[in-house]
Amino acid sequence: MVENPYLPIEAKVEKIIDETSNIKTFVLKSSKKIKFETGQFVQLTIPGSGEAPFTPSSSPSQTEKIELTVMNVGLLTGKLHEMREGEVVGIRGPYGRGYPLDDFYKKEVLILGGGVGMAPLRSLLLTLLENVDKFRRIVLCYGAKTPEDIVYKGAFPEWQKKKKLEILRSVDKAAPGWNETEGLVTVLLDKIEMDLKNSAAVVCGPPIMMKFGTLKLLDLGYQPENIYLSMEKNMSCGLGKCGHCGLGKYFVCKDGPVFKYDLIKDIPDIWL
Amino acid sequence: MKFLLNRANWENFLGQISKTYLIYAPQEFYGELAYQLLAPENVSKTIYNTYRAVQPLKTFFSLPQERVTEETTQAGKTIVLGVKNCDLKAISVMDKIFLEGEFVDPFYKERRDKTLIVSSDCYQPKDTCFCALLDNNPFPEAGFDLNLSQIDSVFLLEVGSPKGESFIAPIKEDLQDVTSDLIQKREKKRKEATERVLEVNREFRTERPFPSVVKDEYASPEWEEAARTCVECGACTNICPSCYCFLLVDTKDEGKFPKVKFWDSCQHTGFARVAAGVNPRAKLYERLRNRYLCKYEYRPENFGIVACTGCGRCVEACQGKIDKREVIKKLEERSGET
Repeated sequence: MVENPYLPIEAKVEKIIDETSNIKTFVLKSSKKIKFETGQFVQLTIPGSGEAPFTPSSSPSQTEKIELTVMNVGLLTGKLHEMREGEVVGIRGPYGRGYPLDDFYKKEVLILGGGVGMAPLRSLLLTLLENVDKFRRIVLCYGAKTPEDIVYKGAFPEWQKKKKLEILRSVDKAAPGWNETEGLVTVLLDKIEMDLKNSAAVVCGPPIMMKFGTLKLLDLGYQPENIYLSMEKNMSCGLGKCGHCGLGKYFVCKDGPVFKYDLIKDIPDIWL
Repeated sequence: MKFLLNRANWENFLGQISKTYLIYAPQEFYGELAYQLLAPENVSKTIYNTYRAVQPLKTFFSLPQERVTEETTQAGKTIVLGVKNCDLKAISVMDKIFLEGEFVDPFYKERRDKTLIVSSDCYQPKDTCFCALLDNNPFPEAGFDLNLSQIDSVFLLEVGSPKGESFIAPIKEDLQDVTSDLIQKREKKRKEATERVLEVNREFRTERPFPSVVKDEYASPEWEEAARTCVECGACTNICPSCYCFLLVDTKDEGKFPKVKFWDSCQHTGFARVAAGVNPRAKLYERLRNRYLCKYEYRPENFGIVACTGCGRCVEACQGKIDKREVIKKLEERSGET
């Protein structure tokens, strides 16, 4: 029989990091190394419960362990949040097409993230930073609901020291001690100036933020082919076969999850 | 390669090999044609050249439910007889999904590899058949290992693949040269069948091809009207010979990560729903429309094949009496309405 793509490999939950009240990062050590490209996703199985797709939030260069940052929003993520260090999960993948780094070379890369959408973007950011000479400038605009809802709180001070990287953050609702921007993440885009002819924008976040973020980028003068979106769809098999993640003629699991906006802009209702 | 083969010789051969192969043959079953397991006793009851069986061919390769975290399918050597062209075309879509691309479905592949397809011309299309409206023919042209066209008491046997050729090697003494008269007779029957499909579908013929109508009339109010009687039972997708969608489900069975693949239906509410409950096709008519778009626009864009082959099974199976042909006809009639 040819190789069975439905079979997961074992991975041990080595460490669980609380990011916010409903987001945790799971550090997984798998029985075999999982080589992925930043932006690709894996299928995580909780034995006997189910399986769901997640894009690693760690850098692909860290091959010993992969990290998944997950918000508790449903049945499976709820179960995952109840797991303890030392327990075993299954992993299949990686699947799909990640961020086309070659497209970003010698360019200014604008990263627009919202909430737990920062997970794949952290993987991208770490990858860009590891090869920072190849890019002209990196700008991260990140928004969360409140300061408490910001993920990777401990990493930001370190990132802020990096050369070529600028970070702007906003929260929808400020709290005492917050001295950065208050407002939706899109307002950060008014505060920056990008060299539009030599820039790529990468967006990941909740559907509503993806929509208004993209519209704002178009407004600012970004061409659809320079906007890269991480599309969220219901991916069951991850192999381009089960049909659940159809987006027009595309299967998000196989042709995405990262799409250039110009490829999908004419498909009706893409933001739902 | 074409041969003349007496039906008696063929049946004798099938009887002999029915112990080594699982042979499924279309036979009468409560007024319909259904695949029955063949044994020497019922070998002569097979009806080759009327219309398609109730079950779509896909059921032999993609099971309604199957554990996919096994090492093997334990599938046996299989022969499916009397397959019609609508099913052959549909299987070409299934093949693209399950056998091509970066990942191959090992279970589908094993069954497919172990199965010999013996197709047959469709001489008596049903009233629900509409292959010719989609430029398909009621007779096989490709995708079969062997094709049988019964003419009087003999078969015109056509070989379609090396697999078919080696299969008939044991009966090569029974094979006779084919006469031009026999070929002409087959042509006549084929032409008559095509005309019959066009005749029964006279009222459903549209000015634009079906795929164009479905694509152009995306915003038509007819979609909502068409979905009015849909009860979301999923019969249309289950019975469809080219519907391939499935859901992977984790079970509490023995084993490391036991997963079962179940046929799924895009007509069900939660089919496309994502985390936290956002549903891109929350409305019933959106799901109904998506099925048409899948068949007539998306898969043709992927594979160059219209994924509806006009077998008419969904028309017969629909609890809400939704007739695809009627829906598309109305879409065209209501063109311009929003």
